[in-house]
Amino acid sequence: MRGAWLVAARELRADARHPDGFATAVTFVAALILVESIVVGPQVARETTVAPALYWIALLFAAIVVTTRSFDRELTDDAIDAVLALPGGRDALYAGKLIALAATIAAVGLVGGVLQIALLDLTLSLPGHALIAVALGVVALPAIVIIDVALTLRLRGRAALVPILAVPVLLPQLVAATNALGLALSGDPTGSLAWSGLLMAIALVYAIVGLTIAGTAIE
Amino acid sequence: MREVTSLQTPGSVARLHGATVILGDRAVLRDLDLEVGPGVTVLRGPNGAGKTTAIRALAGLVPLARGVREVPSDLLYLGHRSHMLHGLTARENLRFFSELRGRTSRAPAYPEALGVGGAREARIGDAIGRWGLSADADRPVERLSAGQRRRASLARLDTEWCGLTLLDEPFAELDDEAVAMLRAALVGARDRGDAVLVASHGHADLDEIAGRIYRLDDGRLV
Repeated sequence: MRGAWLVAARELRADARHPDGFATAVTFVAALILVESIVVGPQVARETTVAPALYWIALLFAAIVVTTRSFDRELTDDAIDAVLALPGGRDALYAGKLIALAATIAAVGLVGGVLQIALLDLTLSLPGHALIAVALGVVALPAIVIIDVALTLRLRGRAALVPILAVPVLLPQLVAATNALGLALSGDPTGSLAWSGLLMAIALVYAIVGLTIAGTAIE
Repeated sequence: MREVTSLQTPGSVARLHGATVILGDRAVLRDLDLEVGPGVTVLRGPNGAGKTTAIRALAGLVPLARGVREVPSDLLYLGHRSHMLHGLTARENLRFFSELRGRTSRAPAYPEALGVGGAREARIGDAIGRWGLSADADRPVERLSAGQRRRASLARLDTEWCGLTLLDEPFAELDDEAVAMLRAALVGARDRGDAVLVASHGHADLDEIAGRIYRLDDGRLV
């Protein structure tokens, strides 16, 4: 785990100096939430089944943006090769990126959530439950997206391939996260926690699968 | 393909045996036997001969389609480019690699250098000074010239100690002063009996330092 924390700290430090990935993701999330809300209309967009879905779709694509940016930085000057050549480097790279990108996506999610609440005048009946749902959902996203970006690392069609690979695998996460957040919005604590429990199991499975295949995917 | 990290051959620090690497539909290495022992080993050949692939195969960065790779677990790979992460300074990059590597098989020879905190920082500071980067070590690496980034990369020779060092075209982008420093570092490594493999198509004077020279062409030894 020490290696993972070192990689995470390195990633977050570089992000803090050049927050272009974060800025792009926040802009993307804001634009997507705004456009989606206009397209479906404010009344529909405020519904507790629709607003969380719009939120998670925006956050999924934001996760792809920040993860792709993170690996682009690794490819500049082949920084990634030096990590991979170290003993335990592949696992440290995956776990470290998972920690750092989850933190970055959480920050993007926080900004996006506040924006959506303000824009649509949403009432958050159970803010604690909503935070649990967002935290668990945010961990699950990079666990899969990192693997997909690693698999397509040096392919020209990466921009198209990553969503194609990620979305089908992340569907259970999107469904569970949308329901957990929707029930937190509508004030159903039991239902929200039940979906959050499922979300936690999904995040755990994704992370274990990711750690298991990260070395091969990166190779 | 078989990969082992413990050394099977006496006197050998690392080796490829019958190594074949296929990239796309092309065999870039063909049944290559390569052995690296203590001292400096030089890998020569024209552009496209497979030198970089051979080094990357030893570093575990490309999979072997066939053959055996035997390397110590603590190896230092310095490739074509600097491996410095943009957004961090040269000092931060050196610190990251040193901390991530932790102790190595050669650590007992340099116990003071692999300590935590002050000892490690002092060693990194020394290496930065030696490679002429004192004025620029705390600037983000993307603001350094290619030659300065290469110097920062080579400073890892002084901050990490490994059973095997792999250098791919290490003289590229270096000025005369840095070339002389690298040459001195290689002579020092040879005199200590460190195992170093250098891939280079120029710098004929390297052959004077080398204990063994391989020539590659079209993925085969010639």
